[in-house]
Amino acid sequence: MSGHISIDGKNESMNKAGNAVEHETKSAPTPMTLAEVRQELKGVKGKRFWRSVDELANTAEFQAAVEREFPSAAQEWVDPVSRRGFLKLMGASMALAGLAGCTKQPEETIYPYIKQPEDLVLGKPMYFATAHPFSTGGVPLLVKSDEFRPIKVDGNPEHAYNHGGSDPFSQGTLLDLYDPDRSQHVLFRGENREWAEFAEAFRLKVAATKDGTGVYFLSSTITSPTLARQWKAVQAAWPKAKLVQYDPALAGTFLAAGGPGVQYDLSAADVIVSLDADFLSGASYPGFHKLVRDYAERRKHPENGMNRLYAVESMTTTTGMKAEHRLGLRASEVPAFAAELAKAVGVAGVEPPAYAWTDQQQKFLAALVKDLKANVGKSAVLPGLYQDPSVAKLALAINSALGNVGKTVSATPDPAIPLPSDQLADIKSLVADLNSGKVDWLVILNANPIYTAPADLNFADAFNKANVVAHLASHLDETGQISHWNIPAAHYLESWSDVRAYDGTVSIVQPMIDPLYGGRTAHHVFQTLLNEPMLSPYDAVRETWKPVIKGDFETGWRKSLHDGWIANTAYDKTSKSAADAVFRGTVPVPASKDSLEIIFRPDPNVYDGRWSNVGWLQELPKPVTNLSWDNAAIVSGATLTKLGLDEDDIVELSVGGGRVKAPVIVAPGHPDNSVTVHLGYGREFAGRVGSGAGFNAYLIRNTWAPLYATGSLRKVEGKWGIAITKSHYQDHRGTEFGEKGAGNNSLEGDEALGPRGIIRYATLEEFKANPNFAHEGEGRETPQYDTSLFPNWAYNEANAWGLSIDMNSCTGCNACIVSCYAENNIAVVGKQQVRMGRNMQWLRIDTYFEGDLSAPRAHFQPMACQHCENAPCEQVCPVGATVHTPEGLNTMVYNRCVGTRYCSNNCPYKVRRFNFLLYSDYETESLKLMRNPDVSVRSRGVMEKCSYCVQRINEAKIQADKENRPIRDGEIVTACQQACPASAITFGNINDKQSRVTKQRAEQRTYQVIADINTRPRTTYVAEVLNLNQELESAPVEHTPAKG
Amino acid sequence: VTVGTAVAFKHENQAGKEFMPQIFDRSSNALARMSLVLTGLIVIALGVTLDQLQRSPWVTRQGQRPDQPVPFSHKHHVQGLGLQCQYCHTTVEKSSYAGIPPTKTCINCHAQIWTNAQLLEPVRQSWATGQSIPWVRVHDLPDFVFFNHSIHVNKGIGCATCHGRVDQMPLMYAQNTLQMEWCLDCHRNPAKNLRPTSQIYNMAWESPASDRPVWCSTTGDKPGVPTAESVSCTTQDPTAAGAQVARLQLPMGGAEGLAGDVAAATVPVAPVYRKFTSQDELGHFLLVQYKIRTPKDLTSCEVCHR
Repeated sequence: MSGHISIDGKNESMNKAGNAVEHETKSAPTPMTLAEVRQELKGVKGKRFWRSVDELANTAEFQAAVEREFPSAAQEWVDPVSRRGFLKLMGASMALAGLAGCTKQPEETIYPYIKQPEDLVLGKPMYFATAHPFSTGGVPLLVKSDEFRPIKVDGNPEHAYNHGGSDPFSQGTLLDLYDPDRSQHVLFRGENREWAEFAEAFRLKVAATKDGTGVYFLSSTITSPTLARQWKAVQAAWPKAKLVQYDPALAGTFLAAGGPGVQYDLSAADVIVSLDADFLSGASYPGFHKLVRDYAERRKHPENGMNRLYAVESMTTTTGMKAEHRLGLRASEVPAFAAELAKAVGVAGVEPPAYAWTDQQQKFLAALVKDLKANVGKSAVLPGLYQDPSVAKLALAINSALGNVGKTVSATPDPAIPLPSDQLADIKSLVADLNSGKVDWLVILNANPIYTAPADLNFADAFNKANVVAHLASHLDETGQISHWNIPAAHYLESWSDVRAYDGTVSIVQPMIDPLYGGRTAHHVFQTLLNEPMLSPYDAVRETWKPVIKGDFETGWRKSLHDGWIANTAYDKTSKSAADAVFRGTVPVPASKDSLEIIFRPDPNVYDGRWSNVGWLQELPKPVTNLSWDNAAIVSGATLTKLGLDEDDIVELSVGGGRVKAPVIVAPGHPDNSVTVHLGYGREFAGRVGSGAGFNAYLIRNTWAPLYATGSLRKVEGKWGIAITKSHYQDHRGTEFGEKGAGNNSLEGDEALGPRGIIRYATLEEFKANPNFAHEGEGRETPQYDTSLFPNWAYNEANAWGLSIDMNSCTGCNACIVSCYAENNIAVVGKQQVRMGRNMQWLRIDTYFEGDLSAPRAHFQPMACQHCENAPCEQVCPVGATVHTPEGLNTMVYNRCVGTRYCSNNCPYKVRRFNFLLYSDYETESLKLMRNPDVSVRSRGVMEKCSYCVQRINEAKIQADKENRPIRDGEIVTACQQACPASAITFGNINDKQSRVTKQRAEQRTYQVIADINTRPRTTYVAEVLNLNQELESAPVEHTPAKG
Repeated sequence: VTVGTAVAFKHENQAGKEFMPQIFDRSSNALARMSLVLTGLIVIALGVTLDQLQRSPWVTRQGQRPDQPVPFSHKHHVQGLGLQCQYCHTTVEKSSYAGIPPTKTCINCHAQIWTNAQLLEPVRQSWATGQSIPWVRVHDLPDFVFFNHSIHVNKGIGCATCHGRVDQMPLMYAQNTLQMEWCLDCHRNPAKNLRPTSQIYNMAWESPASDRPVWCSTTGDKPGVPTAESVSCTTQDPTAAGAQVARLQLPMGGAEGLAGDVAAATVPVAPVYRKFTSQDELGHFLLVQYKIRTPKDLTSCEVCHR
């Protein structure tokens, strides 16, 4: 970032563009060489935008990609089918195409109910409240149920914790429910058995031990208070029985260890500091939904003041990219930095390890301390979950010293999870007991230790020493393959349980559907050992909350089920706990600057591997890196150069005795000499989707360094073949590169900044001085009605749909994309197809990086069909398959589409998706249950794209017409809007002057993307405003990458 | 260039000046011309045939009575016994689906009557075993078409308009093609099929004519109150003696107390009836009263295709 304000930057590049055009008339455009670009980049000031490293350097490959409509090979027949086979197929499909119109519809059978449920109106969905029991805290949900089949999972809009917001994980659990590869039978050594046989065998065995000796449970982190209660009862009856909780993504974190539950109220925080806390990118961070909502709320109206986010982080996350000021530190440096910060703000008892901080780091710290001290009681410091537990203690002490406790921070004595434990120590002692032959029965509950256990434990060897292993799990996974008993686990949408949300509120997990495969839960297993072995989880859950629900129990119970939470169960925020400004403990010393640090994080899409077989999540481009279908060794650009590697090269990572081969990719802003690997890949028995994707990072993760470790890396032969979705769908104006723009950045960079202004933002000061900054100098949003050959439509009758996206609120968490998958029956295409650029997501989040490769800022721009009033796609469709509706929707008529793809070619936003092959699964029975019955399942050869959820619009229109009233504002909610935890998306009628979307469009910061070509898009964006600290403003550009 | 000379010419080129007899007679020129014309005709005929085939009952199944597990007679149940449509098709006013009755609906009566009828064996089987009766679908739209029953019956399209005289069908068949051109025919001009919502389930409803006029009155548009409630129509002359019935139904809405409590001023004045003697007049009156969307809206693709 330079001292230039954005308007200057724009004008500058425009001037240069003008010069370039003059120059261009004299000589033919030639692509620049890399050296030339570097020369150009040298000493250039001003904003620079780019979307990938290729793009920044403007490599030849990138140039070639820009020239194409679809990325490489997207249009070619590259599948291993011979030419002859291809012609045969062509012939057959042509014959079919000709006949398809004339064939009779197949005869269909109607299977009515025998006794129809009284409250069921076929064709009208019902909504039930439940909760997703996730390990970092329950996510309250409202599930859409069609004929009692859950078909859409969304946040509970009435719940005080998430207000309807959700996250990619929760959205993805729907596909997990219908996963055809789920475990379907109780098996004993591969033979079909009944649950009762297991229950009897288990109960008799335990009874024979008298006190439970030799009975071990290995469970994922227990989140259910009822399950915790049942375990305590089991323990009381069988005192020698042992429970080990092990969650690979939680082991070693402050959350698993218990301690006081700390809550943050960011709605009252003017300054937010993240100490490696990735609280804006997903539910992996406890309290994500509330934190991101409160964070975004304070940025929606910059004129009324806004918060400022500082991020100190060890890998590039959306939190860091959204931060006003970001400092990339190696993971082991973060505790020491936190200690320095604590000391500077006056925390007693903290002794920061001696460390040579760079000038820039010191400058950052000084500015941060100054800002925090100026905002006493109005700031919040959030500790990273995947950091040394000392960071959490330091953060609490800092908050205490700053007077935040009781204001923006509250600490309750209740632990956030019901049974806190030292998970690493417990699994170590379990392995010791296994090895010494003490374990008779090992019952594994929803865990996959063969795959996830730390490498140094040699869990697989120890595992075989147990007499009998019973495995309750949703899939026949790595552990299930070698267990004696396999018990299919019921999905949370199939079973009764309970969970506490981040704020402590208890939600009842109620089933939406009978277990598809007769699954059981951990409740059943524990109950088997108690006095009433047949007591159902339903009764057990009721028993737990009987003392809590006030008044008549049945009434209160039904109300709790209806509302989705039990009233008055949130943690008491007023209760004082031990939160003083004193730090007790030691701060680990940072690893040597030359050592290579390897950071382990759960994957943003498949978490610890539990969602490996969820195609939506596998294909979802990961935030920042846009990598899909794989994990990778993520490094900084400087480290890549230093190691002499290229992206997609294979390296061998070693930590301790473990080794694993991984592809390398660059994340801009990643700290140097540091590698981030995501867990959850390299599964062997995940199922048809997840098996074989990525590499298994658990092989280099040990009990002595579960969060980050010092390791080594060496290049091995070959290329991995990763699938990255960024730099796809380039606009077809590659030759203009040399002409327009300053020459110091890429085509898209130019467009993001220059005449096009795809990304427009200002600092708070600039915004206050010039609230109209988003339109300065251009005036391109003014629609030109007289220049089009096509007749204009006034859109002044009835409804006109419009969508507004607040760029200040969007954190790029991807919840909207997964929600869109579920709502619109979008197909998953697989890695090879993604590599060809054929991914089908209707919505993508464009990430525009800005500034230096080593210290960028990113702008996240959700991009879907803009529903242009003057749509270029419609003008070229030869068969009228994409047309405009009177309400201004650009609609796709699938059954008219013949697949010319002209529309996609002519779309300036590149938001159309084409079914190159038959991607939709018409065969798998369980997936049929999941589909949204209101949306067509698209076949091969059909173009598709965002429809503004037209099925929801029509449903609301019909309802309103029947009731003889206009559609209410907020009655129609698009799937992306519904999922967004930050409320960044607003949809509504722009002809209604009172609607929220109209008001948002009327804001001065509202702008349209590529509106200069007179597309008149209905989707508008609200420009970002950044609340920069003047002292640090120019810091990122001056940052120099570590010397190799 | 005729065929004959072309061949000869070719021969000369290939074989130099060597003489070869003509293979084709001069008459083959005429044949060639005829075959060209015939080919054209055949192509056209094929097109016409396919076009007709596409609209034929063979493709549309219009008028076909498929074998059903039970030869259920709508004629008997509707005309003979006077069952109302919604007794079985319960959700037709609420949902996109009209609803196919569960076995329970059959058993309601057939637990009492015809309990031993051989014809009803599948119903009893279904009731005993819990297996659905596998009806063959008669009105089957393609899967990319999204039809909503409720909006049609709420806005004055009667059952018989699309399904025909179901009360006269011993076995169910599709009266209409259900093809897109048939749908659009009405969506382009809904007025020709609109009827008062009070007559939706009347199978024998006939469009007004000079010898069977319809009288309608309206209480005006009340936002939030379904349009159907603001229109009252009768086939009995309301100015004649029988009008009491029609008028008595009117002041019901909102009057919670006893009739005597209603102050004299709030008693609505006698409604003004308009007389309609043609479907065109009535249709356009209802079009306005029911606030039917314009043909432009109704023929927009996304109305049926999503």
